[in-house]
Amino acid sequence: SAAGPRPWRLFGAMCLLRLPRITQPLEKEEEEMAALMAQIELEKSQYSDHEIRKLQEEDQLRRRKESMYDDDEAPGKTVIMAQDLEDKWEQKFLQFKAASRITDADKNNNRTSLNRKLDSNLMLLVKQKIGNQELWLLPQVEWQPGETLRNTAERAMATFLGDHIQAKTLGNAPYGIYKYKFPRAIRTENNVGAKVFFFKAFLQSSDLSLAELKEDYLWVTKDELGDYLKSEYLKKVNKFLLD
Amino acid sequence: SLCSFFFLSSWQPQMVPFRGSHWQTSLLAFRASLPMRAQPKKKKKVDLKREQAQKDRMKKKIKKLEKAASEMIPIEDFITPLKYSDSNRVRSLPPLSFEETERRVLLMKKWGLFKQKQDEAEKKAIQSLVEAQQEALKELRLESEELYQAAIRRDEGLFPFERDGPNYTPPLPEYDPPEGKCVDITKVYTQ
Repeated sequence: SAAGPRPWRLFGAMCLLRLPRITQPLEKEEEEMAALMAQIELEKSQYSDHEIRKLQEEDQLRRRKESMYDDDEAPGKTVIMAQDLEDKWEQKFLQFKAASRITDADKNNNRTSLNRKLDSNLMLLVKQKIGNQELWLLPQVEWQPGETLRNTAERAMATFLGDHIQAKTLGNAPYGIYKYKFPRAIRTENNVGAKVFFFKAFLQSSDLSLAELKEDYLWVTKDELGDYLKSEYLKKVNKFLLD
Repeated sequence: SLCSFFFLSSWQPQMVPFRGSHWQTSLLAFRASLPMRAQPKKKKKVDLKREQAQKDRMKKKIKKLEKAASEMIPIEDFITPLKYSDSNRVRSLPPLSFEETERRVLLMKKWGLFKQKQDEAEKKAIQSLVEAQQEALKELRLESEELYQAAIRRDEGLFPFERDGPNYTPPLPEYDPPEGKCVDITKVYTQ
């Protein structure tokens, strides 16, 4: 644009999301519906080979008990019944122990851990010094001439998590904006306020051992953002976050 | 005959080798110079025609086969195997009671409403996302046209985007899955 330098300072901020690892629990209606669908499927189905075998063997057993005739097969020959197979499979299943859906971090409410709340999105919040205040914010740095805003946001991510972070930025366009004016004490003609442009990225690797986290950081869900962010900032951030 | 000439002319004062006939162009190449081409000439013409006719007949046959050979590939999902039409396969269950049918109908209605609310919420969320992005782009354009153009450019590296979907339980560390081999027995049809 041909006009003179704008009085707004530009910042690029990155909303880094750790996507869910496990499925969310079903709602009550969903559970009821799932049960009904299973029931209808059972009613409309026909017997499978395994079930026919089971029915025939039950029939044989019953007939053998009612009339005391000898077995047709030679004694000593072991026949595996379908019921035995089912019991064997059940035993094997009970021996397997899956990992728990609720982790230790959940129980301790350790908000710096990535292993918490595996069924929801987790966002990175860092403590930054703005003016003379220490605030919890999405990681942001000031825009420098010569780079696009997406690069600024990625630089912000690298500043707080190191260069080895593996994240996929979702596109070149910003997802949201937070505009604020500086307090009257430092506001001038050429320095009215700042515009913070938010970008979104998905965390690809869960291994952050190489990350050099210098500042205080937190991984929080959308509901917990309210505990840390200021109300105006929170309103703008909530606009581009899905549950 | 050359030798005989030599012999007969041995008592002549000069031994001059000369040709037996005007077809013999050189003294040493005897058999090749005589006109022995009559038979092969005939074979070539007739054979060529016969071979051409044979080739055409074969091509016609091949074309006929190709036209007739486009059979439809059967869709295996639509063909019920015969072993499942036995009457002993039919499940014997007690008929549904009135309360059960009522319960099912009411549950379906509740489900319809639940899904409608879910869909509306999704649409609202997407709307809110789009609005937030439009506002951000508008403000960006006010700042700098160059940054705006960079922002609306298509991101080539975004798609194809792959991700392993969420499972029911998180991965178990140091889990040793049982060994096994998966053999694919699907029938592949070619036309």
